[in-house]
Amino acid sequence: MQLGVSKPTSPLRSRLSAAAGALLALGSPAVSHGDAANPTWHVDASTLFYGERSRTRIVEPVVRVTRLFPDGQSISAKLAFDTMTGATPSGAMPSGRVQTTTTASGHVVTSTVGDIPLLPFRDTRAALDVEWQKPILGTLRSTIGGHVSREKDYQSLGANAKLSVDLMQRLTTVTVGAGTNRDSVFPIGGTPVGLSDGTILDTGSQAKRVTDGMVGLTRVITRRWIAAVNVSRTLESGYLTEPYKVVSLLDRVNGLPSGELKENRPSTRNRTDVLGSSVYHFTDDVLYSSYRYYWDDWGVRSHTIDMKYRHELEDNRYVQPHVRYYAQTRADFFTFGLKKGAPLPAYATSDYRLGPLRTVTLGLTYGFRTDYVPGEFSIRGEYMRQYGDGYPKDAIGTMSTMDLFPPVGIATLVLAYTVDF
Amino acid sequence: MRPRTGLLMQALLVVALLGLGAGCAATRVKPWDRDLLAEKKMQFNPSPSESDVDQHIYFSKEGSTGGSDVGGGGCGCN
Repeated sequence: MQLGVSKPTSPLRSRLSAAAGALLALGSPAVSHGDAANPTWHVDASTLFYGERSRTRIVEPVVRVTRLFPDGQSISAKLAFDTMTGATPSGAMPSGRVQTTTTASGHVVTSTVGDIPLLPFRDTRAALDVEWQKPILGTLRSTIGGHVSREKDYQSLGANAKLSVDLMQRLTTVTVGAGTNRDSVFPIGGTPVGLSDGTILDTGSQAKRVTDGMVGLTRVITRRWIAAVNVSRTLESGYLTEPYKVVSLLDRVNGLPSGELKENRPSTRNRTDVLGSSVYHFTDDVLYSSYRYYWDDWGVRSHTIDMKYRHELEDNRYVQPHVRYYAQTRADFFTFGLKKGAPLPAYATSDYRLGPLRTVTLGLTYGFRTDYVPGEFSIRGEYMRQYGDGYPKDAIGTMSTMDLFPPVGIATLVLAYTVDF
Repeated sequence: MRPRTGLLMQALLVVALLGLGAGCAATRVKPWDRDLLAEKKMQFNPSPSESDVDQHIYFSKEGSTGGSDVGGGGCGCN
């Protein structure tokens, strides 16, 4: 927000102004810090550079423009465009020999001895999100949003709505919300039959429906401390399988991959999570902390701890270290491979994202303003490292000597700029 | 959902809500004392675009999702 040149004010007037600002701020999240008496534009732009060693690379510019109206309404639109290139694990296990995999587009990919087989890909994704916030009856606010995104083999259409009410002299905010997505999956080369050797089920699109709901409670604890608890539930149904992922068929004796089948997942998934968040204001600095517990009916349970500490420097600059720890259990049908000749299970995947997994993230943001350009700039660098169970107890033969889940290193850089006018 | 997990989480949720309620009941922050709370950096999500980027990354690299909001876009990344 640009305040411009202001006249000297009395302490009482400053305090009353702060109180008025506080009431406005608590009554409307995210972008309500503009002067509500005048229409205001808010622009929030960023670009993500994402890279995994020898794997995926992504560049994603995002811009969000928000129009604030004098009566407290706001309308925002966010446009994102992803460019993704590189390679992703196919799900096949490494072996002591060269492996070849045929991609959906018919290319034959060769993986080196002992390495995790990868599938090359290239895709772009465009996404548009819109949101309309409107105050109703003083302490009640509604938010309505919509989403559309499209990539080469996936389309998502979504809508959501939230209702928030401030209670107890605006010390408490209760929020309820719901959303729904109608997505379509149209795999390149057609949709394979689950647990087949690649037999094509059909070449049309597969439907995926996502419905979610949440209840949130936000409380002002002290003058410096605000905390919240959110509970959300997500129900997914339809085609939830990764059409390009495979599961290795393993020799019963030596454990070597001797073939592969397309993975297969259940057609429903019920997710639940509880998120506790806290923001604490020290003299100048601010500590953000959160903990999330998640579980679903696929057997995945996870803990996520996230902490950021914003340390104010002189001249409107700050640094913000970030630490995040994530740990999940494996899905019930996750496997490092199926024994050849044994009866097939109903569902199986070797997608490491459904395996036992830990992620550690370390990051640092530097934010600053300049005298020459209005608004705030920030630059953020982060490093994520993902660990799995690379030597599972049930590995057989030569598999037990190989690292089935070598750690994955991911580096990200985010350049961001926000301005109000 | 595992029944024991559900019960545990429900108990934790009740404790958290009671804790929040007790904390609020013990301290009445008057409107003129909310200057710090009004600062943009006191929002749970002061940088929505960066937060969206983060959620997209975590959604595509991990088996869990959700928590702070509803809706949002699906993608073929997971």
